[in-house]
Parts: sequence; structure tokens; C-alpha cells
Amino acid sequence: MTLSIVGDVQVGFPAVRTGYGQQTYGNTSPQVERYTWLTVGDDGRVTLFAGKVEYGQNIRTGLAVEVADELRVGLDDVDVVLGDTDRVPWDMGTFGSQSTARVGWQLRKAAATARETLIALGADHLDLPASDLEARDGRVISKHDPARGVDYAALLEGDPRVEEIAERPAVTPSGEWSVMGQTHRRRLDGLDRVTGRAKYSQDIQPEGMLFATVVRPPAYGGRARSVDPAPAEALPSVVSVVREDGLIAVLAEDDEAAALGARMVQVDWEIPSGQPSRWDMPAHLVESGTEPYPMHEAGDLDEGFRQADHILESTYYLPYIAPAPMEPRATVAQWEGDRLTVWAGTQRPFGLRQELASIFGIDESAVHVIAPEIGGGFGAKSPYALAHDAARLARIAGRPVRIAFTRAEEMMWSNFRPSALIQIKSGFTSDGRLVAWQSDAYHSGERVMIGRRGAETPYDAGNVRSLVYRSDSPLPSGSYRSLGAAVNHFAREVHMDEIAEAVGKDPVELRLHNLSEPRFRRVLEQAAEEFGWSGPHPAEGRGAGIALGIDVGSYVATAVEVSVAGREVRVHRVGAALDCGQVVNPEGALNQMEGSIVMGLGGALFEASDFQDGRLLNASFARYRVPRITDAPRIDVRLIGDPETPSTGAGEPGIVPIGAAISGAVFAATGVRHRELPILRHL
Amino acid sequence: MLTVHVNGEERDTPRAERNLLSYLRFDLGLTGAKYGCGEGLCGACTVLVDGQPLRSCMTTVGAVAGGDITTIEGLSSGETFEDLHPVQQAFVDEQAMQCGYCIPGFVMGTVGLLNRESSPSTAQIREALAEHMCRCGTYQRIERAVERAAQMRSGGAS
Repeated sequence: MTLSIVGDVQVGFPAVRTGYGQQTYGNTSPQVERYTWLTVGDDGRVTLFAGKVEYGQNIRTGLAVEVADELRVGLDDVDVVLGDTDRVPWDMGTFGSQSTARVGWQLRKAAATARETLIALGADHLDLPASDLEARDGRVISKHDPARGVDYAALLEGDPRVEEIAERPAVTPSGEWSVMGQTHRRRLDGLDRVTGRAKYSQDIQPEGMLFATVVRPPAYGGRARSVDPAPAEALPSVVSVVREDGLIAVLAEDDEAAALGARMVQVDWEIPSGQPSRWDMPAHLVESGTEPYPMHEAGDLDEGFRQADHILESTYYLPYIAPAPMEPRATVAQWEGDRLTVWAGTQRPFGLRQELASIFGIDESAVHVIAPEIGGGFGAKSPYALAHDAARLARIAGRPVRIAFTRAEEMMWSNFRPSALIQIKSGFTSDGRLVAWQSDAYHSGERVMIGRRGAETPYDAGNVRSLVYRSDSPLPSGSYRSLGAAVNHFAREVHMDEIAEAVGKDPVELRLHNLSEPRFRRVLEQAAEEFGWSGPHPAEGRGAGIALGIDVGSYVATAVEVSVAGREVRVHRVGAALDCGQVVNPEGALNQMEGSIVMGLGGALFEASDFQDGRLLNASFARYRVPRITDAPRIDVRLIGDPETPSTGAGEPGIVPIGAAISGAVFAATGVRHRELPILRHL
Repeated sequence: MLTVHVNGEERDTPRAERNLLSYLRFDLGLTGAKYGCGEGLCGACTVLVDGQPLRSCMTTVGAVAGGDITTIEGLSSGETFEDLHPVQQAFVDEQAMQCGYCIPGFVMGTVGLLNRESSPSTAQIREALAEHMCRCGTYQRIERAVERAAQMRSGGAS
């Protein structure tokens, strides 16, 4: 038989600190259903089921580590099923660094419930009181006589058994962990990734599949006035050119014919005029700003400025940047009667299922979405509209249809990290104590949450007013690692450096001078120690900078050392500290921190998406520079979370302080303050 | 009909002008080499031709017809960790990966590098891999993996 542990998807622990997290990531199912979270088979193998997807964050290993420990089995005894809507519990989506914090906790409870159930079965089997028994190495054994015991597998002969996740199962305290908290260098999927066996949505090829290329306008908002498909239809491998409800697509027997056909479809495009171009953005953000939302209001701002010895006003600007994951989006749709199967590398398989059901007027149960391995996403792969197109085309063609973005399509038709302009006015005493903090942040994009993340100041200003405006977005704005948090942090932390300069204090000292929350103080001190902070001038020709922050409930601080030669900035080394509470898979957390730092380095130094009159000007890696191995610094990260504090996220916080730290280091090296990114454009 | 040698096997190809990456991925089903940019700028499509790295997205089957093509699938049987090529083992042991999409390309690029230079300096490693992109930013680990692989090979790992 199989032991199944079931529960609902109300995974509300631990509470996310900010209102933003509570609103956005309250992971509540639209239907109240019971889902199987975990099974123990009569071969002793354990399988966990989660609606999260694997897009590099190594959550497959992270969740398996938690389950293995609670069930007292080896990591190799655990199988992991992710992101398959027919098999896993409903999930809102993989974003916001919630996988360990929420789903991991739910799975730990499920596994602890399974362990308690197995011990109860063992008590019957061994005719011993359960209190005398413990689980170890896949067996239930007597605490007094470990030789007396029984394998899990032997306990599961007979009828299937279903248990609810217990209200308060005996989850293993961190002091007793043997798998959690340990360094696991070999991730569960490591072998598949180095052999090419790992299957991404780009790799899915069902029998009889057609290749489709969608004919897209050269500029945003473009509409076809007229279409001549004849030149494409004349190509030998082209099956048809579909035109339906604004969708123009070439279906072909091979990928090259589809791409060539799409180029040969003759379209007369109507491009809307008057779209803002990149140089219009700073003014456009402010002029179109609406719905000021008070993120943080405290004290009396006017009184605060009256008390100030100095008042400092600065403006910060960040352009759009591209997520540019290595895997361009790809999808395959296949109809079998009225049942639809879609493979899509989306961060929201259940959201996509709902969209497809709605488009075709069918029940969600008739739609099966499978998220295979995902070649990076960084937040951008939440929307996945090409799967809608593939499903429409597959229905028309009566065959499975694949759509795969080219690099240029991925750059242009993805969603960008929003652009923002932030004005900060601070008042402080001559020894650098903040007495007033006024911030007005204009973030592009419809989703009001974009700019609110990270907009509260952690410093003890006393008199505070922090407003976040929603501004018009000429480019599709959307999720990106930490979203507006990295943007808001950049402005605030550079401003703190400016105050330090104004009063002649060290950047670390100035921050500590204004910080009372112990976790912030500690993470800053630990990062400074890890880095060996000795001030902004560590060596001849070098500059150092440091910044701190909070995202998804985790505290982070980062110090960097740079040198500047001509129009190049070289980041030599990075020292960082992360407090994300208890760490179940340290190697995973470290890898995520390192990756966030490298990604943030790109945005700080050279990344910017350029556009003019609705056209994206740098939709190629030849024109859009991302960090290469030659840009990568040495990175040392210290994980300092309290092992008794529930886990918070580790995938995003690392990107939050790095931009300001680099700006501070470049200032130390050159005397020039960079309030606009990317820095290389302003050297 | 044109024939090519892929992973030690002689294979037919219908058209000399067929894009090599498309041929490998869709005609032969060898999906280990990835499409990343189609412009030879990211390295995800890297395969070996006569032991040296080549951007398969930028060439045709006809252009490599005389050579021995090795894809990641042909590097080792890969059934268990012990079966892996030393470079693959080193990437696993350094956890030099996140999403893994770029990793087959990095592995092939590294094998090519070590074929040319058995104990490369840090500068040589960086120069050889500068044409590969890892957007997840695992470069520090990749560098360590290349160093480990070089040590494994020179240390006589049999």
C-alpha cells in the first residue's frame, strides 16, 4: 500500500513581515480541496509533491532535504514532483522567495505526520508502546534496542492509508537536524543538468509536432493593416499561415521553415505614434505619476525638517532592465479531443491552466499544464501568453504545436524590470542623526505592488513620509527578482552614503548611528566583518562601498571593492551577510546569494533596455551586456540566520543592496556620486 | 546523401545547409545543446568538432561534415556520477549550476579548453569561457569546477 499525507494549501506560516507580502503571497487556493503532499510507497520510497517549479533556485533539493530529515531517510530516497497541475497541490506561483518559507514548512509538517503515523504502525507491528519507538534510516526501531525494528516498507503492506497533515506534528528542532542545515554539494538534479538529460520546455517534442513562428510587430502596439501570406505559403515546408483574431503565425514542418516563413509574410504595420522613448522617461515617470500611496508615515515631517542642521535633496533614476534568462520562452500545446496538455516553462502553471480553461471555455480539469525544467526566469516567466497562442494553433492544426521565442523575441516580448525615479529629501543633525525622511518614488507599471516593495526605510528617522506613485509604462513592466525593492534600496542606500559624506562619517558608522533594529545592525556588522571593512579606501586605486536591506523578510548587507580604469569598473570582491532565519540547504542559499549579487552587478554597471518610438533598440546580447565570467568578482557570503527563526527567502535579497554598494565604492574610487544606473553610461 | 559523424555514429542528413543546432536538436533529438541567442554570443549551443568547441547555432551541417561531432550526450554514458566525464563531475561537485540551461555549453567549452591546455591559468579559464553566459551568475563556481577538473585530470584520475 501507499501512505499518503494530505492537506489543504492554506500554507500561512511563517507570516511575511510586510503588508506587501501578505497581500501578494497569501497562498490561498480558489477551491477548498485536499491535496496529496507526500507519499511513502511500499518500497519505502518517499515522494513529495509541490506546485512550485524549478528554475534554478534548487528548490527540488531544498524540499527533499526537509522531507528526508523529518522522515529519517536519506536524500536519495526522496523523489520530487513539481509544477505538474495534474499531480501537485495548487500553488499561486513560484515567486517572492516563498518556496522554503511556506511550501517547505508544509512539507515538513506532512513528513513529520508521516513519521508519527509510521511509528504508530510500528507500535502495533512490534507490540511496543509508541513512546519507546523512534524512526531512523527508513525504519521504526526501539529506542532501547535498535536491533528490534521494522522497515517502513514492511509497515505499508495492505490497504492504502490516507492521513491528514497533523495540526501540530513533532517537527524536528534545528538542534536535531541531520540532513537539513548540512552542506549537500550534489543537488538532486545535478547529474541530469551536466549530461543534457534535463528537459526544458525548449526540448519538448511530441510525435507529429508542428513548429510555429508568430509574426510580431516591429514595435509595441503595432497592428497589421494588411497581410500577404502568399510568399510564405509558397515555401515547401510551410503547412499554413494562420490569421485569427490578430494572431498571425506560420506553421511548418521544421523550425527553420517556420522562422523563414514568418519573415516572408508581408505585413503592413500600423505603429502608434507618440510613444515615449528612453530619454523621455525621467520626466514621463513624474508627469504620469498617480495614486500616491503612503507606504510609511510617522511623526511630523515639517517639525523634523525644522530640527535638522542639514537638509539634503537628491534624485535617483533607474532605467528598464531585461531579465534575459538563458532559455527563451518555449511551449508546446497538444489537444486530445477536448483535453489540452501544455508544456510551458512558466512560474505559474496553475495560473496558466486557469487562463487556458477560460480562453477555450473548458473546465480546468480538462487542462493539464506541465512546467518542465525552466532555464531561468527571475520573475519574468510568470506571464506566458505564447502558450495561449500555441493552444489556439494546435486546435486549428489538429497537431501538437510548438512556439519558441528567438532571443530577440525574448528580449522584446518579455516584461522588464520597471523603470523608476525616486526623489529623497532628508534632514539630519550635524553628527548624522536622521530627523526627517521624505521620499517620493515613481515606478512604471500597472501593478501597484511593483514600487511598494522595499519602500519603507529601516532607519530611525522619526519623522517620515514615503509615498509610492504608479506611473505609466511604455514597456511591459512586471516581475523581476525583488521587483521594486532593489530599486527603492538603491535610492535610499546611496542617499545614506551622501549623508555620511556630508557629515564626514564612515558609511558603516553612519548607518549604525541610525539603526535600532538588532537584525539590521547585526547583518551590517557581519557583512563588514566578512568583507574586512576598513573604510571607503581599502587600498591605493580601490574604492569600497557597503549597503543593507531587507526583502521577503530576510535581512542582507553587502560590501564591495572596486577599481575604475577609463570607462570600466571592475568589482574585485564582495563580502555579504544574509539573515534568512534557519537555513535548511546552505549550499542552495549561498548559490542564490552569489547569483543575486552577479545579477545586481549587471544592473548597477551596464544593463539598460533602450527604446525609441515603441521599438526596442537592444534586443540582442550584442547590444545588451550582461555579466560574463570576466566580470565576476570573488564573493564570500556569511549565513547568519538564527536557527530557531523560521526560514524566509534567500533567492532575492542578495540583489537588493549590491547596486548602492557599487555606487558607493565607485564614489570612493573616483569622487563621483552615481545616482543613475547603469554606472558605465555615466562615467 | 550527406553523412556526418555524431557521437561516434554515422548519421544521414537531408540538407547540407541545415542549421547544425537545429539538426542536432530536432532531427536527431539530441537536445543537450541549447538555443540561447542564435548569434554565437552565449555559448549554450556549444559542441565539439574534432575536440574543439564550436557554436552549433552559427554553422551548417555541411560545414562540419568531415569532422567528428561530440555533443554533451556523447561525452559520457552519465548513468551514475562515477560514469561522468571529469568535467561533468567537477561541475556537479562544485554545484556549478542553477537553472542549468547553459551548463552543457560550459561543460563542452571546458572540455575543449582542457584539450588545448591541460592546466589553464585563471586568466586562460576566464578568456576561454568569456564567450559563455550564465545568467544565474554561477561564474565563481564554474571557475572552481574548471580548476577541479584540470586537477582531476592531471592528478591521474583514471
